[in-house]
Formats: sequence, structure tokens, C-alpha cells
Amino acid sequence: MNTNTNNIEFGGRLRVIGYIIVLVIAVLIGRIGYLQLYDGDHYASLADGNRIRIVPAVAPRGTFYDRNGNMMVTNRPGFAVSLLPLTEPISDDVINRLSELLKVPKGTINEKIDAHIGFDPIRIKTDVGPEILSIIAEQKDLYPGVVVEVLPIREYIYKEQAVHVFGYVSEINDAELEAKKDSPHKYKMGDIIGKAGLERVYDLELRGEDGGEQVEVDVTGKPVEILGKKNPVPGSDLYLTIDKDIQAAAEKAVDEQLVAVGAKAAAVVVMNPQTGEVLAMVSRPSFDPNLFVGGISSKNWNAINNNPNHPMDNKAITGEYPPGSTFKIVTGTAALAEHVVTPEEKIFDSGKHWIVDKGNADGEALGYINFEEAMAHSDNVYFYEMGNRLGIDRLEKYARMFGLGKPTGINLLFEAEGLVASQEYKRKVFDEDWYLAETFDAAIGQGFNNVTPIQAAMVMGEIAADGKRYKPYLVDKIVDPDGKTVKKFKPEVVGQLEVEPQHIRLVQQGLKGVTKYGTAASVFRGFPIEIAGKTGTAENPHGRDHGWFVAYGPFDNPSVVVAVIVEQGGYGAASAVPIGRKILEAAFNIPDPAKQAELERQRKQAEQAHKNKKNNSNSNNKAQEQPAVVNNAPGAGKGYGAANGKK
Amino acid sequence: MILNKKFRKIDVELIAGVAGIIIMSLITIGSATHINTPSEDRYWYVLRQGIFTLLNVGVIFFFMNFDYKALQAYGKKLYIFNIIMLLAVMFLGQSALGAQRWIQLGPISIQPSEFSKIIMIICMASVFQDKIGQINKWSDLLPLAGYVGLPFLLVLKQPDLGTSLVFMAIFLGMIFACGVNLKLLAWMFGVAMACAPLMWHFVLKEYQKMRIMVFMDPNVDPLGSGYHIIQSKIAIGSGMLFGKGLFAGTQSQLNFLPENHTDFIFAVVGEELGFIGATILLLLYLVVLWRGIKIAQQAQDSFGMLLAVGITSMLAFHVLVNVGMTAGIMPVTGIPLPFMSYGVSALTTNMFAVAILLNIYLRNQKLQF
Repeated sequence: MNTNTNNIEFGGRLRVIGYIIVLVIAVLIGRIGYLQLYDGDHYASLADGNRIRIVPAVAPRGTFYDRNGNMMVTNRPGFAVSLLPLTEPISDDVINRLSELLKVPKGTINEKIDAHIGFDPIRIKTDVGPEILSIIAEQKDLYPGVVVEVLPIREYIYKEQAVHVFGYVSEINDAELEAKKDSPHKYKMGDIIGKAGLERVYDLELRGEDGGEQVEVDVTGKPVEILGKKNPVPGSDLYLTIDKDIQAAAEKAVDEQLVAVGAKAAAVVVMNPQTGEVLAMVSRPSFDPNLFVGGISSKNWNAINNNPNHPMDNKAITGEYPPGSTFKIVTGTAALAEHVVTPEEKIFDSGKHWIVDKGNADGEALGYINFEEAMAHSDNVYFYEMGNRLGIDRLEKYARMFGLGKPTGINLLFEAEGLVASQEYKRKVFDEDWYLAETFDAAIGQGFNNVTPIQAAMVMGEIAADGKRYKPYLVDKIVDPDGKTVKKFKPEVVGQLEVEPQHIRLVQQGLKGVTKYGTAASVFRGFPIEIAGKTGTAENPHGRDHGWFVAYGPFDNPSVVVAVIVEQGGYGAASAVPIGRKILEAAFNIPDPAKQAELERQRKQAEQAHKNKKNNSNSNNKAQEQPAVVNNAPGAGKGYGAANGKK
Repeated sequence: MILNKKFRKIDVELIAGVAGIIIMSLITIGSATHINTPSEDRYWYVLRQGIFTLLNVGVIFFFMNFDYKALQAYGKKLYIFNIIMLLAVMFLGQSALGAQRWIQLGPISIQPSEFSKIIMIICMASVFQDKIGQINKWSDLLPLAGYVGLPFLLVLKQPDLGTSLVFMAIFLGMIFACGVNLKLLAWMFGVAMACAPLMWHFVLKEYQKMRIMVFMDPNVDPLGSGYHIIQSKIAIGSGMLFGKGLFAGTQSQLNFLPENHTDFIFAVVGEELGFIGATILLLLYLVVLWRGIKIAQQAQDSFGMLLAVGITSMLAFHVLVNVGMTAGIMPVTGIPLPFMSYGVSALTTNMFAVAILLNIYLRNQKLQF
């Protein structure tokens, strides 16, 4: 029988086994110590990544209000269907089902999943209808990991109106994501951003801060518990300089006139010349920005993209047109300021200029005319002669003094510079010397000269404001959700014509003549407020002439300046002036005669009814009915100078 | 008389160690399973494991009345029984997780390879006790290797790589304690190393190869075989010093950690009880294993010494491979953590093993009286 002696013999071996065991335990403790203590934070974040999903609550974008506090762009509640990213791959079944339900191609869903980084939901489709939502809610088990997010959806209340000012919003794309890398706001895939207009310029202010819910999910993506919630902070509101009523009137006037003259494109700018506030801005053709909100359909996109007149362009600031006769404001100012002519000097218009064989558009001859008459009748021969006396260099100098040839600085992107005719330009671009005939062209706004509609409004505004040039702007103030004004925009003088005041007065007189007895007189017959205007017809080598009209009023204390161009509309007097008149009517609350008659009739009826009632009872209805009458009275309510009286 | 002695000669440290581990086990199984129990009772697994623990305690008390030395008489019969049982698994067994390991006996499904471990320890001890100091040549070693080799291959064929490796560990522990010539041992390692590529090509199944590849780099297959290792490491690591608290381990409670009440239970301890809890558990194992070696040293005879060495080797190997696996330093082999992992067969085997240790300790100093 073996005894303990054998054990003792190899006892050393047993001790070795004991040491090996101690070593094994020590190694294991060391290993878990490494995992838990040294690398613990890393694994803790991985564990959180496994279980915590952020379901964002998208901040509502700031609202756009017009200058009188009328809401113009807001948000409505909408729903998006999204996928929660899981530790395990999302099953093909679910993707197939979702693809069928949402009518989104499988490939698109897979692309979105592949492109996704992080743990917030992958938005598959925004702005889905209630039927789809109820299907997902009822068949939860068929759609694991699918969540419905409540999203504020941008709503442009007046659809196409002022779309070029407001812009539109849509989902950020890869290029934009890359471009906004250094932005103070961390943009991410799926973000809705402003793509054009003020939506784009003030995206940072408008977008607010997204909130969200921290949701704990299990391995299948099923939410287990809400761990935390952060409420979104809405974006700041924009209070615009735009006047909803003037904007609406301008849009309506343009649309009616385009139909009437058979033109396709037009642009309007309405400003306050004493401040630079833009009261209305129209560009045609346009589009409905609401189409872009949930992702635009290819049909709608093609309709916009294939339109030869580029509906997305804001022609009021990007369209460059020969100024035509509106440029005579510049030429006339220069001629008086440079003393190349006196207001009294009469120049003989025989229908043609005696040096270069150029004449009036329809070949008419006005005989001996002075400055004011020449301006009112837009006499080409007179202004050829002014160009002749000034020379191209001085024309250029005054054009630049008015601010032409560079952007006005309005707070929108892609503003065009326009072009001032000059020797330097011709040499640079065509490598040719200047000809006198080209000076003649420049003097009446043809040839190389190009202006944008907002520049045309700016030039007219400078005459209205006695030489002061204000920077045009669209936003009065930005107000944060607490009601605090975070930014206030003030009128900013950016230029002053170095011209004696009496010379500007003379130009003003000539422009008043335009609506009194000149080229716009027939349209403005009976207009109750004195208006200064200038028509223009810009020759267009590609088709019909462009019709121009610039105007301001009231003459003695101008508060509104208007610039209208109708692309290929023909004569300015026929195409653009009627639009101008309707806009000025809206700006000064002048009811149009037909409407006025109708209102008068209604008022009389109401009075009659009132009298009848009074006879029947001694009620106090009077107080209730009165406001309707008061509102219809001309000159009531807000106005731009009409009621301000004259200086 | 005997009872009296029993209480005087009980290895309190060993019992305390095992009891401590089992208490941690019941708590952890409860935490890991209370959400996903098959029955309505949330603590079905805990209850079952607890009942079998108590049954086994009864068996231990009963076994204490017999002298362990009587076991050596059954060596040959047990060996044959073992071979038959393993063959039965091959033909009657039910598949689970890609391997035939289970036999259904009434309401209980048993895992014969678990019992096979303790049976092999008894068989080997009874054969090897006469070889102490006599394993110096290949001709001495090879018959012993062949003796273990047959059941080893049967288990490997199931396939149950884990258990077959446990046989190897027990074998190595025993022949080492028998005083095997160290040169011979070195040669054995050399041959094993040389055979490894052959094993890779001819013996290992695809999924076993995958497990080893995944062990080298879990990211080979992060959502397949690597998933277990990755999630288990995340669970342990994220527990940090104090753990997330019982029932609060996100990896375990939200099912990111698979097999969390069986093979990967250590990860639950690591996640919910932190470094402190995991270290306490490992130190409890150290107490148990240390007592195992002490009992071997103090054993009355070679049979007792070899039994104790075999049992300690088995338990130590289980702890090393299982904890190493959950911590990402050992390949996934499906070896449960003794006294911790849910599983009645393994629990019974381990409790019986402890009963043998206690029995050896009880009778070690008889001669001094």
C-alpha cells in the first residue's frame, strides 16, 4: 500500500501545481482589471452605444413675419418614418416591407443605412400620411426598429409669394455637409437646411437647437425606457421689411400683366428710398417652395429645372438687363452736374442726331425741347447729345457714383454686379477702342450697360432721397424664442451723389413730368398721389424688347420706390407701367376705381339697412357695423406717405 | 461516531469557498434570467439550480459515510460504463448548438460528458496510483495516454472540444503529480505542437476553426462568432470598478450578451458587480483550488492524492478557460464556469468532485490516531 511517503516524494510537484493555480488566478484578475479599470471607459461607451439611441426632436425653424407682424412662413406638425440603427444588421424582410409601405426603393433605404454613422435614427421618409403611420403602429412586430418621429414641417403660407426672398428648405446633401464642416453649428446627415433665399442666409439663426429623447433599446431595437429628454429650442424668428399686402399686390399685378402681354418672365422690387427697406420683391416665373419640403418629386423637379425661364433664379437681384431709358436718370444727372447743359437750354430734335445717325424709337421728332421735357418724353436725341457732351468717361463716373456696376449689398446670395459701359471694359473684353456711337448707346442705357432690377430701384431711390443711397435690406430684426431681439437691422447710408441739390430737383421735376404728361401719363391719369417715374424699353438682341418702369412717390416725401421689368414685354409704358401703378395703389391704399364703386354701393346698402333697423328697434348695433365702413374709406389704415401729408 | 468525526474533520475553508461561489451563482443567474424565463416564474432557473444544489448537498452527506478508497475497486467498471455512455450520446444524443451532447432522461436532459469528467478522474487515479515515480520512458507513458485517449476521442467526436481538453488537463495534472519525467513531458508538448497543424486540417470542424480564428481577431466575424467575444468584453469592461449593480447590467439585461446564464455568466458578474465582484469571485476560486492542492498534499494515499489533483486540475482548467474566454484571452470552447454556470449536470459533477475532496480530507489523518 502506498503511503504518505510517496506524496512527500513528489510533494514539490504539488506545490508547483499550486503555484500554477495562483498564477492562473492572478493572470485572470490582471486581465479583467485591464478590461474594467484601464479600458473601462472605452467599454462603457461601447455598452452605451449598444443600448442608447437618440430619437431627435427637431427644432422648429423660426417664423417669418412681415413688417406688420403677419405670419408668412411657419411650420406645421408632420411625421417621418425612421429606422433605429441596431447592433445587428437590419433584416432584409424589414427593409422590403418598409420599401413597399413607403414606396421608397430598397436601394435608397440601403444607401441611407450604409451612409449612416452614429446612433440617431436613419430618416427614410419625411412627411408621411396618417394611413402609413397607423399601419406601422398596428403592426409593430413587423417593423422592429422602425420609429415615427414628429417633425415640424416648413410651411410657406402664401406658396409662391416672395419665394425668391424666402427661399426654401430641403435635406442637406453631401456637398453642403462638406462645405459646412467649419460652421459653428454641427450639421449632420438628414438635417433640413435652408437652400436659398433668407432660409439659406439666416439658416443658423432660423434652425434652433434640436432636442431629443435618449431611449434605451434592447438587442432587437425595441425601446425599453426613456432615459432622458431634451426639449428642442426653436429657431429665431425673422421680422421682415416685406409688406404682405404690397407683396401680394405686386405678385397679382405681375401675373395679370404677364398674361395680358404674353410674356413669361418679370421682376419687381419695391423699397423705401429713405431707409433701404425692401417692401416687396417678385420674380417670375416662380415655384412653390412647399414642394421641396418633404423631398421634391422628380416630376416637379423636372418641371422647374426644364423651364427655360429659370424659376429658381431671383431675377430681381440676379437678372442683368440693359437699363434702357431708365439710364437717362444717370445721364441727365451727370449732364446737369457737369454743367454741359442748363435746364433752360433747348436742343433741337429732328428725329435724328446730327452726328451719329441715331434717333427716337419710333422716329418721332419733338422739335426744340429743354431738360425737363426731354426727361418726361424720354427723348433719345436730347440724351445722345448729353452723352456726346459728357463723353463716356464722365458717364461712367456718374454711373458708378449711383452705385451701378457693383452689388447693392442686399442680404441675399448671388446678387449680380451689373455692368457699367466704359472704355476700360471694352478694351479688356474686346481689345478694341471706344467709338462715339457707343457713347450714344450708353447715354440711353443701351450698349454695354447692364443693371439688375434692384439696381434700377436703387438709382431711382437715390433721386427720391435727394442723393442718399441706402443699402437695401429684407430683415428688420431677428427675435429669439424668448422674445429678445438678437439682431436689429438699421438703415445704412452707403453712398451720396456728389451733385448740387438743385440739379437733383431738376431731375425730379423731369421724372414727375413722366407721369403728368410724359411716357407714363396715360396710365397714371387720375392717380391721386404725385408720382415720379421713368419708363424704359431695353433693346433685346434675343427677342422682344424688355419693358422697364421705375417710379417713386409721393413726390414731395417719397416713401416708396418701385422698379419693374417685364422680360420681352415690349414697350415699358405698355408692359411695366401698369404693374407699377397697381403696386403704388397697394402701397398707398388707393382702391381701384371699380372696387371703390362696389364698396360705395355696399356702404350705401349697409346704411340703408342700418336705417331700416334703427326704425325697427333702438338697438346699439351701430357700434358693431361701423368698422366695416371705416376700413373701406380711402387713406385709412397704414399707408406709405399718402396720409403723412406733404412737406 | 462518524458524524461526530465528520464535523470535526470538515474542510471549512473549502466548503465556505464553494458556498460563496454558489451564492454568487444563484444571484447572478437570477439577474441574468429573470427577464427571459421559459415559465411564468421569473426565478425558474434560480429555483432549479438551488434545488439541485440542495439535493447534491444531501448526496455529499450520504457519500461522507463511505470511504473514498472504495472507489478504486470500481475503476474498471466505471471506465467501461463511461465508454458506453459516450457511445450512447453519439447514437441517441440530441443536438444543441451544433453538437450532440445531450441525453434526455425523463424530465431531465443530462450531459454525459460532464459526468464523464469525474468518472475519468476516478479511473485514472485508480490506474495511475501504481505508477508514481515510474513514468520515465515512452513505453511507460503511452499505455496511460492510450487509456485516456479512447474516451478523449469519443468526446472530441461529439464534438465537444472543451471537454476533451479538460481530459487532457486532468491527464497532465495527474502524470505531473505522478512525477513524470520532465523530459518526457517536454517531448509530449513538442509532439502536440507538431500535430497541431494536422489537428487543424483533419480533426477540427469548421466552426471550431472559426472560433480559434475569431479568438485571434474577434473582428473577423463581428456579428457571427466574434459577436460573443465582443459583447462579453464590452460587458466586463463596462462594469468598471463597482459594476452597474445587480439587475442593472445593460449588456446582460437587454440581451446583447448571449448565453448570459451559462457559459458567459462571468461577464454578467463583471458587468453588474464590477472589478470588485469579479475579483472576489476569482479569489473564492483560488480558495477552493488552493484547498484542493492542500488536500492532495495531505492525502492518506496516492489514490486520494491523485483524485484531489485530478479534481483540482479539472476545476482550475475550467476557471482558466471560461474566464479567459469571457475576457477575450481564450477561444470560445463552451466550457462552463464551475458552480457558477447554470446547468444541472455540471453542478452535480462539481459537487460530487467536492464531496470526494471532503472525503479525502476527512480521512487523511486516520493513521495519526
